Amino acid sequence: MTAEHPALTLRGLVKRFDTKMAVAGVDLTVPAGSFYGLLGPNGAGKTTTLSMAVGLLRPDAGGAWVLGHDVWADPVRAKQLLGVMPDGLRLFDRLRGAELLAYHGLLRGMNPAVVNQRAAELLDVLALADAGRTLVVDYSAGMKKKIGLACALLHGPRLLVLDEPFEAVDPVSAALIRDILRRYVAGGGTVVFSSHVMEVVERLCSHVAILADGAIKRVGTLDEVRGERPLEEVFVTVVGGRTATGEELAWLSR
Amino acid sequence: MAVAVTDVGAGRRVSARHFVRLKLRVMGNSFRGQGWRIGSFVLGAVGGFWLATVGFSLFAIPGLAGDDEYAMLLAALGGGLVVLGWLLLPLIFFGVDETLDPARFALLPLPRRTLVTGLFAAALVSVPAVAVLLASTGLILTAGIFGGWTAALTQAVGVLAGLLLCVAAARAVTSAFATMLRSRRVRDLAAVLLAGAAALIAPVQLAAAAALQDADWDRLAAVATVVGWTPFGAPWTIGIEVAQGRLWAAPVKLLITALTVVALLAWWSRSLESAMVGVTGTGGAAARPKVTGTAVTQLFPRLLGWLPRGRFGALVAREARYWWRDARRRAHLITLAVVGLFVPALFNLGGGSPETPSPVLVSLTMLFVGVLAAATLANQFGFDGSAYAAHVVVGVPGAVELRARMAAFSLYLLPLVLVISGVLALLLGRPWWIGLTAGSLLATFGAGLAANTLLSVLGAYSLPETSNPFAMNSGAGVARGFLGILSMLATAAAVTPMVVAAALLGDVWLWLALPVGAAYGLGAALLGAYLAGDVLDRRQPELLAAIAPRR
Ligand SMILES: Nc1ncnc2c1ncn2[C@@H]1O[C@H](COP(=O)(O)OP(=O)(O)O)[C@@H](O)[C@H]1O
Ligand SMILES: [Mg+2]
Repeated sequence: MTAEHPALTLRGLVKRFDTKMAVAGVDLTVPAGSFYGLLGPNGAGKTTTLSMAVGLLRPDAGGAWVLGHDVWADPVRAKQLLGVMPDGLRLFDRLRGAELLAYHGLLRGMNPAVVNQRAAELLDVLALADAGRTLVVDYSAGMKKKIGLACALLHGPRLLVLDEPFEAVDPVSAALIRDILRRYVAGGGTVVFSSHVMEVVERLCSHVAILADGAIKRVGTLDEVRGERPLEEVFVTVVGGRTATGEELAWLSR
Repeated sequence: MAVAVTDVGAGRRVSARHFVRLKLRVMGNSFRGQGWRIGSFVLGAVGGFWLATVGFSLFAIPGLAGDDEYAMLLAALGGGLVVLGWLLLPLIFFGVDETLDPARFALLPLPRRTLVTGLFAAALVSVPAVAVLLASTGLILTAGIFGGWTAALTQAVGVLAGLLLCVAAARAVTSAFATMLRSRRVRDLAAVLLAGAAALIAPVQLAAAAALQDADWDRLAAVATVVGWTPFGAPWTIGIEVAQGRLWAAPVKLLITALTVVALLAWWSRSLESAMVGVTGTGGAAARPKVTGTAVTQLFPRLLGWLPRGRFGALVAREARYWWRDARRRAHLITLAVVGLFVPALFNLGGGSPETPSPVLVSLTMLFVGVLAAATLANQFGFDGSAYAAHVVVGVPGAVELRARMAAFSLYLLPLVLVISGVLALLLGRPWWIGLTAGSLLATFGAGLAANTLLSVLGAYSLPETSNPFAMNSGAGVARGFLGILSMLATAAAVTPMVVAAALLGDVWLWLALPVGAAYGLGAALLGAYLAGDVLDRRQPELLAAIAPRR
């Protein structure tokens, strides 16, 4: 039944914190097999939206469906299909890398033999095998991102939701992560990720949504959204930032 | 690396005075617009003043009482304690006074000697230093009463030298251990030691009180004389020596102190460099052997190899590792072990007549220990912080999660229960009472697990993400304390049948207590996990929001 369902559907998601309207009614349809970029400036509500999409934060209104399964009404099935890498949350970082992967795998009810084999492979590919006895809390920021990604990938989810996967990651690791994600999509998976870095989005995504002030401003395939202009220009226009016209600060040039 | 740079500018020499003024300026600026900083400084000052008053009275007592027999004793031992405190406390609370962080001077072309004397002078400007100075004027008073002006003046010199010694010792030791302390492992260890020390204070106090009751004053006086000739006691006893007619001792003791201060400053000067550069994490993971075994075998501690390789087993294994690897949890465990051993022993052995121990009193103290042990879990999710998100993402069933958490905690607690019960039964001279002690403890512990598990799901709160196991977010304290007391009362109420049975059933109960208590505890815990698990299933996201610290 999942074939005809979108990988992720968000309908009318709303979240308000005290006086702050963090997400003001977000609708989004992520087609299966797409590489979806959620773009937005800091504080746009990306983290809040994705948290509500994966069951980490209860929405004030609206709902989320993963391949047709309601995240909030039928969480068991929906969460099996999901791999999540949150941003700004800790891992169980008093474990070592391999221990953390084993923990996630067993929590997911996976067969220990499969966990072992996949964990070894992931640590190897992500160049984390050398970390050995180091606790995750002592990893660098980029290594933490990588082990977080490994945890999200371990059970072979159909949909990956990644919050700021390229933040604080060095270029080599970023290239590695990009490569892994491309292969994952080529193999039939779907990726949704948030970012405020245009180059990454332009390079990877088939679809883009631009979020600002808790609402979707533009949505569609990458080509639809950017049209003839560079994505960055579209982004700045949509978000309402200033672009220098040449009039102001004239005194800067003599 | 004392670089000999060409004299900058007109050669205004940097002196200790500049460092002192800099420190005062930095302190003043840090107060600006920071009400709580002023508040905590005032609190610290008031506390320091209070301690100084206490110290002053202690040092002045022999003089005021006109009893010069104890003057030497108090001066040597009291002063020695002060020095010891200056040595150890900064190690445990690293960075307590880093208003002037040596690392900030790393780029300035200052000769090392200027830097050391300057930082030393700045370090003297602090609440603790003033407090020590105030307290030790008590010594001057005592010396003056016994030996007149000469003794008082000598003692005043001694007090100043003693203060220099204290500050130099603190600086030298912290600086030497700075590199080590900056690595997380050692700081964890320090935190745990602190927890152990804090937990030990009560028993030590009681032991000291008991020792004082039938103390051998002559032996103590001999110890004091010896301490008086070490750097710990030398500066504080100079005036007393003069007052007691041993004039020759004063310059010798002063020399001992001066040499020690110079040695300490030299040591400090040498280690300052590495502290300035801030070398961290040397000899880390690379030196240790490579890990072996598959990921899953690594997750399970060797002793727990028998756990099922599934969801429950993984949860227990992770929790078991966390109770040891997380400094905050470990500190709880250690405190619990110490208190759990000492309180029952004190209550049942002290005061009453050990010839006729009462089963009711024994049950009651066991109840106390059980309640206390289970209360450790009152905010068990708060320990995890935002890491708990992983469980929400996976959707771990609440009952499984709670049963696993109970099981992991019990892995540490059950051996402790056995030890406590056994030790108490032995101390009472009735080894066969172990059934009674263990049974009461197990019943309370089980009921307490149930109550606190429910509390931990409903009343969780976030803990600050620091390495200090005692750090708390201020504000929520009162309400949380109230909830905690409520759960303790519920636990106590749930196990009153055990105490009543102990009172009514007599000797039969001695044999029934263990099986009944164990069954009761297990049943209560399982029921609690089942009920609280249901609640948890419905409010996982709310729990996560409650325990994730605000960024
Ligand atoms: N727990 C919270 N309490 C109060 N306000 C919050 C909370 N989480 C997020 N916000 C606010 O909601 C807005 C959206 O935040 P977020 O979703 O984290 O943005 P993004 O991830 O796009 O940078 C921000 O203004 C932020 O300050
Ligand atoms: Mg964010």
